[in-house]
Amino acid sequence: MKRWAPWVALLLVVVVALVAGTRDGDGPEPVSHRVDRIAHGVRCPTCRELSAAESDAAAAKAVRLAIRRDVEAGRTDGEIRAALADRYGRDILLTPAASGVVGLVWVLPVVGVVIAIGLLVLAFRRWRPVGRHPTDDDRALVERALTE
Amino acid sequence: MNNAVLGQSAVILGFLAAVSGAAALAYGLQQRRPAVVRAGRTYVWLLLGAALVACLAMERALITHDFSLKYVAENGSRTTPLLYTIASLWGALAGSILLWGLVLSGYLTAVTVRFRRHADDPIVGWALLVGLVVAAFFFGLMLGPANPFRTVSGAVVGDGPGPNPLLQNHPLMAYHPPMLYLGYVGFTVPFAFAIAALATGRLGEGWLVETRRWTLFAWGFLSVGILLGAWWSYEVLGWGGFWAWDPVENASFLPWLTATAYLHSVMVQERRGMLRVWNLSLLISTFSLTILGTFLTRSGVLDSVHSFTESSIGPLLLVFFGVVVAVGVGLIGWRGDELRAPGSVDSPVSREGAFLLNNLLFAAFAFVVLLGTVFPLVVEAVNGDRISVGRPYFDRMTGPIGLALLFMMAVAPALPWRKASGELLRTRLQVPAWVGALTLVGCVVAGVHGLTPLLAFGLGAFAAAAAVRQLVLATRRQGVRGLLGRANGGMVVHLGVVVIAVAFAASTSYSHRSEVRLRPGQSALVRGHRVTFLRVHEEKHGNRTSLVASIRVDGGRVFAPALSRFPFASQSIGTPSVRTGLREDVYLTLLSAPRASDGSIVLGVLVRPLVVWLWIGGGVMAIGTLMAAVPGRRRLPTSPASAPVPDAAPPRVPVAAPAP
Amino acid sequence: MKRPALWIAATVLLVAAALTAVLATRSPAVTKIADSPLIGRIAPDVSGKALDGATVRLADLRGSFVVLNFFATWCIPCQREHPELVRFSQQHAADGSARVLQVIFDDTAAAARDFGKTNQVDWPVVEDPDGQVALDFGVRGPPESFLIGPDGLVLFKIVGQVDAAGLNRLLNEVAR
Repeated sequence: MKRWAPWVALLLVVVVALVAGTRDGDGPEPVSHRVDRIAHGVRCPTCRELSAAESDAAAAKAVRLAIRRDVEAGRTDGEIRAALADRYGRDILLTPAASGVVGLVWVLPVVGVVIAIGLLVLAFRRWRPVGRHPTDDDRALVERALTE
Repeated sequence: MNNAVLGQSAVILGFLAAVSGAAALAYGLQQRRPAVVRAGRTYVWLLLGAALVACLAMERALITHDFSLKYVAENGSRTTPLLYTIASLWGALAGSILLWGLVLSGYLTAVTVRFRRHADDPIVGWALLVGLVVAAFFFGLMLGPANPFRTVSGAVVGDGPGPNPLLQNHPLMAYHPPMLYLGYVGFTVPFAFAIAALATGRLGEGWLVETRRWTLFAWGFLSVGILLGAWWSYEVLGWGGFWAWDPVENASFLPWLTATAYLHSVMVQERRGMLRVWNLSLLISTFSLTILGTFLTRSGVLDSVHSFTESSIGPLLLVFFGVVVAVGVGLIGWRGDELRAPGSVDSPVSREGAFLLNNLLFAAFAFVVLLGTVFPLVVEAVNGDRISVGRPYFDRMTGPIGLALLFMMAVAPALPWRKASGELLRTRLQVPAWVGALTLVGCVVAGVHGLTPLLAFGLGAFAAAAAVRQLVLATRRQGVRGLLGRANGGMVVHLGVVVIAVAFAASTSYSHRSEVRLRPGQSALVRGHRVTFLRVHEEKHGNRTSLVASIRVDGGRVFAPALSRFPFASQSIGTPSVRTGLREDVYLTLLSAPRASDGSIVLGVLVRPLVVWLWIGGGVMAIGTLMAAVPGRRRLPTSPASAPVPDAAPPRVPVAAPAP
Repeated sequence: MKRPALWIAATVLLVAAALTAVLATRSPAVTKIADSPLIGRIAPDVSGKALDGATVRLADLRGSFVVLNFFATWCIPCQREHPELVRFSQQHAADGSARVLQVIFDDTAAAARDFGKTNQVDWPVVEDPDGQVALDFGVRGPPESFLIGPDGLVLFKIVGQVDAAGLNRLLNEVAR
């Protein structure tokens, strides 16, 4: 038990630090921050993979402006994203939906990990050498060999 | 001699050499005639000669501006500087296949030379056969849809449009593709040997281990190539980022992931003869992914900065990919039972167990990236919906895997083979773990916020301390010479990876973007940096006209972000200017030309922390790779993997099981 | 399960074959009739300043078919489709059954005016400095055109350059 003490202490230090470091800051989110955050989840319409927050294309600027107006008008994140998807189509949002056929993209990796862990557990169980404990036959054999 | 004729003949010669060589080797192997197999090597030399002549012919055509060649007419220009003209060999599709052919011929020749004493060994024969078949495919592409020596029908133009403007902005574009190709194409060699081992059934002899150094070199070049690509994206494209989970970036990253897994997993095969199916599968996956990646990049199936043109090359690459996977998987399935290992993993908490988990983590990583990249295509095929899978998906899915890998980097080197005792682990990991924990506390105290970055910093420090511990131990035992060799080279590479991981986490989580409108002479304060707009002037270069703004940063150097217009291109291309610092970069972009009313410009200012450490980390990785390639001091199998733990109990000798 | 290696191999092969099949059926992007969430709905309002200073509104054009075209002077396919738009406009000028309305995408009014000096432009060209009109229609990049019916419903979205014959074909399809 004493040997594990420093490790328990270490774990405590880590947990406390993480909790301290991830507590939400005080005060509401500033507008520009919120616009930036939402824009990061929206594709720049003229680019391939860049978000509207990163690109300087005219379409990206238009999207940022629209988001800013909506944020200042008090709409929620979901409403703003839905409004943009209503114009450009669902593929303007960089995060795929979590339901339907599209939801598979989130589910498959998790399923894969579960299956992999399962196979790993099975493999380790198979590898454990059978017959660790000596049987009575083994004991008899050893007895015989020792008396020979 | 006419460039087109010379080049075309060389390509035909190369194709014939590859096909004949493959046929000859196949005959020799089938009939078990070692003389024929040995003679097969001449075809490889012939192939190399043909590839060299073809490339030289193309370079000559580009440099002398021979616009009778369609490729030169579309990609060359009299106003392009020499470096970019040379680099335009690989600037577009057909030329890049030519480069592929050259690099592949070079590698096959190197195999021939390296294994000349085993020239009539069927395994070498098979490996060359596979290599020549691949070469035949690529040279065949050059005879068909990707012909670089096609001549212009009709009038020859006096000048051409030059390479894509984005490829002319920075000298790095000259080095990024060759590095990438040296990596990409280099994986053909271990793949060929894997197929050879499967085909001949000689799976236990260590041929895979023999080719480990080849894989290491290819992996090293690919790593550098990927980082150069990220650097180019950062310095040239103007959006201030270096990794966008773009399909083309993913295409180069996927083989890197499986190759990294292989480099670790092959150590288990060396020591214990295990994980052979994993290793073969990883090698075949790596090569298949390079073909798949080439398909995604070249066929126009996805739009991207790299999509040059649409041609029939797509279906051919896809069929080749299918064939490679089918052959590889088929062979493994056929030999499956012979591949079952003699031993087994005794305990999950051991070096073998760690490498097995490592394989799974990398496989999961690759699966996620591959799934995210092709999923939009699949969905569109299934129900016609267009969806996006972008950064939020990749970050969220690969973040935990990356953190798990950092953890493994810290713990695995301390794990002994076969079985670890808790005490051993506690002793070895104590100092690194506290370094990690205290770093975490330090970051939180310094005001760093956010779960993923904090975990990245803490685990990174843990992993770095573990690597440093190994290096210190090695130096203490064997001096500087002990630093060389696979184990310690690997630790240096780990250090490089940790630096990159930390820099990546910091620069993506804590960057600050803003736009300011400045009149001439006006300053603005952005995140502690003072930017002053001095003046704007126009520059005319040979290949472009640029509007250049002079910006003084922090009262020091003057930087020059620009907007350039190329004669044949559509829109203005922005050129960023970056003030690089050890702590953070100040990234400037000129967003608008001066307003008529007051001459003011809109300046984009992006402050990004720790970016330069990405490139430094890459350098460390390169050094580590070189160190790992040098053979280490030959160790006896019985010498301990690291310093013995003082009061660890000696292993008990098990009672022998009675004979049946 | 006998010979697991073979089964796993067969599964992997099946997945790879499926992936190959899917990827083989993708076609690279070209001019095409595109999907849009706006099809079948009333077109968003377009209201802006035309190059000649007058205020133009899409709603004023109700009663005719409208080809709403987003263009830029720097866009090569836009330059190529311009004569086709002229032809289309002239074909329907007599009975006013179809009109063209252009919106500038990421370009300056000055550039558009210069373009108008050397090219025939018989229709109103509306400025869109904030890009909000393009956003309302979900325009990714020029050229993109929308065919809007006399009642204001969005009928088709065309991505890429258009030609007069193609536009007329679409009109005939709707008339049926």
